[in-house]
Amino acid sequence: MKGTTLPVEKDLNQTLIDFLKKGLESGGFDAVLLPSRVPSGDSFAYLLIKNPSLLEEATPLPPVMPVQGAKAVSSLTQYGKTNQKILAAMRPCEIRAATELSKLKQAELENILFLSLDCPGALPLSDYLENPREKDKVFQEALENRKTESMRPVCQVCREFSTTTGDLHVGRWGAEKGRVFLISSSEQGKKIQETMGNQGDQSVDSWESKVKELKEQRLQERAQFHEDLKTKAGGPDKLLEFFNQCINCHNCMRACPVCYCRQCYFDSEAFDLPVDDFLKRAKKKGSLRLPTDTLLFQLGRMSHMVHSCVSCGTCEDACPMDIPVAQLFSLVADQTQKLFQYSPGRNREEPLPFSVYKEEEFHEVETPYRKTYSKGEGKNA
Amino acid sequence: MSEDFKPKIIYFMCSWCGTGGSETASAHHLYYPENVIPFRVNCTGAISPLHLLRAFVEGADGIVISGCHPGDCHYNDGNFRARRRVASIKSILDSLGLGADRVWFRYVAHGEGKRFADTAAEFNEHIKNLGPNPLKERKET
Repeated sequence: MKGTTLPVEKDLNQTLIDFLKKGLESGGFDAVLLPSRVPSGDSFAYLLIKNPSLLEEATPLPPVMPVQGAKAVSSLTQYGKTNQKILAAMRPCEIRAATELSKLKQAELENILFLSLDCPGALPLSDYLENPREKDKVFQEALENRKTESMRPVCQVCREFSTTTGDLHVGRWGAEKGRVFLISSSEQGKKIQETMGNQGDQSVDSWESKVKELKEQRLQERAQFHEDLKTKAGGPDKLLEFFNQCINCHNCMRACPVCYCRQCYFDSEAFDLPVDDFLKRAKKKGSLRLPTDTLLFQLGRMSHMVHSCVSCGTCEDACPMDIPVAQLFSLVADQTQKLFQYSPGRNREEPLPFSVYKEEEFHEVETPYRKTYSKGEGKNA
Repeated sequence: MSEDFKPKIIYFMCSWCGTGGSETASAHHLYYPENVIPFRVNCTGAISPLHLLRAFVEGADGIVISGCHPGDCHYNDGNFRARRRVASIKSILDSLGLGADRVWFRYVAHGEGKRFADTAAEFNEHIKNLGPNPLKERKET
């Protein structure tokens, strides 16, 4: 990959804003989709900006992720592609989720360009809301010192923090002091650099080697983290304990970018049952917790979206009971995606695991037949 | 393992080969354990992972899925798709430590009555050894 470097004078936010402004003015793209601080100052929302002067108020790298960017892209293109070029500045996990949504026909990415960045992680949303001003400082410090301790647990063990699935990528790692890389990761990205008059053919080897090094370290940490989680939440008893506080609000499902069903099965009439049905279940189990089917909801949701789970942590942020759902989902997602050799958001052309099959695969799930089992005709086996 | 434990086993079978196998078994007067409950579906490819999970969480001790042999599917590729879903469900159950070996997937052709009866009996024995599914007794599922 090739790129250029941008100067960081005040802070990274300002550098990004200056770049976006220049791009918007020079016609590299026609609109910008990026997070901005809400007027009350304590949260962030996505803004679709046409007027370059309004970019000054934007925060391309917010400390938290209240809305997953893929949801913004999906709501923007629900009636089809855009005719104007929109540059969306997002975290890598948001871009990967948008790619997954495009495979599920719930987002149309033609003419949408993505600007990703070396993600430092995001702060837990509930922590941030307690004291936004203080937490802004914490985030800024973490960004400068490249520390992840204050970030969300899933961010701390994220392995896709520098994944370049978009068109342009802002690289912080391995850059000289006071500069960041601007890497063209697609043909369209190159074109934008050309339109803006950037020298886009400089080497980014120092970024690539630093990312490789960091990624190896993260992969180890992630494996250890999942191992620990498995001992903490594995098995029926511990798993039920893990979800004990679930109030069945389905917030995780609503906030999840890749929970793709238009009508969730768990909101459907399949669960509107006559009271006799509940009484029957209560009789069988001795008693029945209401609202019912909390574990089934979590497992069912998992079975639907686990191949596309990008471990973005939005479900965990959305949980009013602070259940670490995202951590558990990342554990299951890693194992299941590895099985299907699938990585969500890696490639727009790569088909979803359930939409294809091969004739020779997964023979290990076919239980082999032992011929001499039953005791013969006419006898009770 | 207590001797009087009668596992509840749901046997998902497709309406072409799986149920055909059970017909052949009946024609040959082959018996299978009475606690194995046949559940007919149009095609194993039509089974959503959710059906399996709901059975699993709400009271089944084990689940068997039988469709046509590879290449025999009435809908060409349903059994291949089912195999992917079973692999996925097994991976989820395995990573959460919920007992992936309580789910079996075995092809049974229309003419294979003995194979059907054998599978039911063998799986019944297998689940008897594993003991009851711990989730089915729990009220908070």
